[in-house]
Amino acid sequence: ARGGGSGPGAKFVIEPHRHKGIYIAKGKPEQAIVTKNMAPGESVYGEKRISVEEGDTKIEYRVWNPFRSKLAAAVIGGVESIWMEPGSKVLYLGAASGTTVSHVSDIVGPEGLCYAVEFSHRSGRDLVNMAKKRTNVIPIVEDARHPHKYRMLVGMVDCIFADVAQPDQARIVALNANNFLKNGGHVVISIKANCIDSTVEAATVFAMEVKKMQEMGIRPLEQLTLEPYERDHAVVIGVFRDGKKK
Amino acid sequence: MPDIAYVLYESASGYALFSVNENEEIALKSEEVQASINSFDRFGKVVKLKGFMPFKSAQSALENINDISDGIVHKDLENFLELNLPSKKSSKKSKAVLGVSDGRLGSAIQDAIDFPCKTGDVVQEITRGIRLYFSKFLKALKDGDMEKAQLGLGHSYSRGKVKFNVHRVDNMII
Repeated sequence: ARGGGSGPGAKFVIEPHRHKGIYIAKGKPEQAIVTKNMAPGESVYGEKRISVEEGDTKIEYRVWNPFRSKLAAAVIGGVESIWMEPGSKVLYLGAASGTTVSHVSDIVGPEGLCYAVEFSHRSGRDLVNMAKKRTNVIPIVEDARHPHKYRMLVGMVDCIFADVAQPDQARIVALNANNFLKNGGHVVISIKANCIDSTVEAATVFAMEVKKMQEMGIRPLEQLTLEPYERDHAVVIGVFRDGKKK
Repeated sequence: MPDIAYVLYESASGYALFSVNENEEIALKSEEVQASINSFDRFGKVVKLKGFMPFKSAQSALENINDISDGIVHKDLENFLELNLPSKKSSKKSKAVLGVSDGRLGSAIQDAIDFPCKTGDVVQEITRGIRLYFSKFLKALKDGDMEKAQLGLGHSYSRGKVKFNVHRVDNMII
């Protein structure tokens, strides 16, 4: 498909990315990953939109900035799988104002769901507002440490994404997985080394976190650092209760 | 040790009570739990829907979730349990126990209706299965109904949190 960008004369070609639900917008000279806008006509955080004509219909994509989103950084970094695609149900811990959540909403699409948990009321307000225009996002302003407080709002999910930046992050993920993650479901955890332990090297922190995950029944599958987009950050991906040995 | 004969499940659309087949409870503790939960045919034999009470309105759903998240027994929940659990006389003989996901709510229920409650791994495993198959247990529920209820309640619950937080620091008046 071929179409005009936001600027005059800016032409982009949209191609599907290896990950379902993500696309690559190829222009001259720039290239970006984009997601299909669930709420056409709206930007969530000032991101650029690209409108493309496909047949008789116009489809709008939103540029996904790896400097603003760790999940985007992981995708560009070449992660094997993010374990979310059109139709997936995702529990998102540490949703903040919902910038990445809005892209997850685009990826899982109208058949999917994203339960977005954020404890801070300031961010929570933005999250609730964003979710008004996206009916596949269920906003939950509550503490991810206490999943029993929001157990009435959440069904079983295929994937938990966590970006809570707390020292006890692994425990928080495990608590939520035990309640809401399907057998054989996946966890995608963003780890900021100095949020866990600032006294040791980042690589040591990542190894410690992976060990904690294993103890909690999560079998690690892959790990990648988010350079050059984030410093001392890693994304660790694992599978929960898949019946195989650690 | 008393058996978990019932499990309370709190959903966005209402309260549900499930009965647990006593002979099968042992299997739930073992390795077989995975296999049993992975198939509805098996799980549906272990756990059966005993009663369901939909919330009367969005407002009543919100009142109920606010109480549930604080471990408080709402009047609706009390009525629902009294209606669906066996009467006190017969339950004392049978030593039946109600499984509740949250320990605080469990003790509050025990105080309110004098029915023994229990939490723990077995309750959690059974609840996982119920959460996975809830719309299959409730035949009246159409595809997408549960998600709609979660969406509506998620918004009203979260709006309430943002609005009424007394510790809010960013409510500057300009």
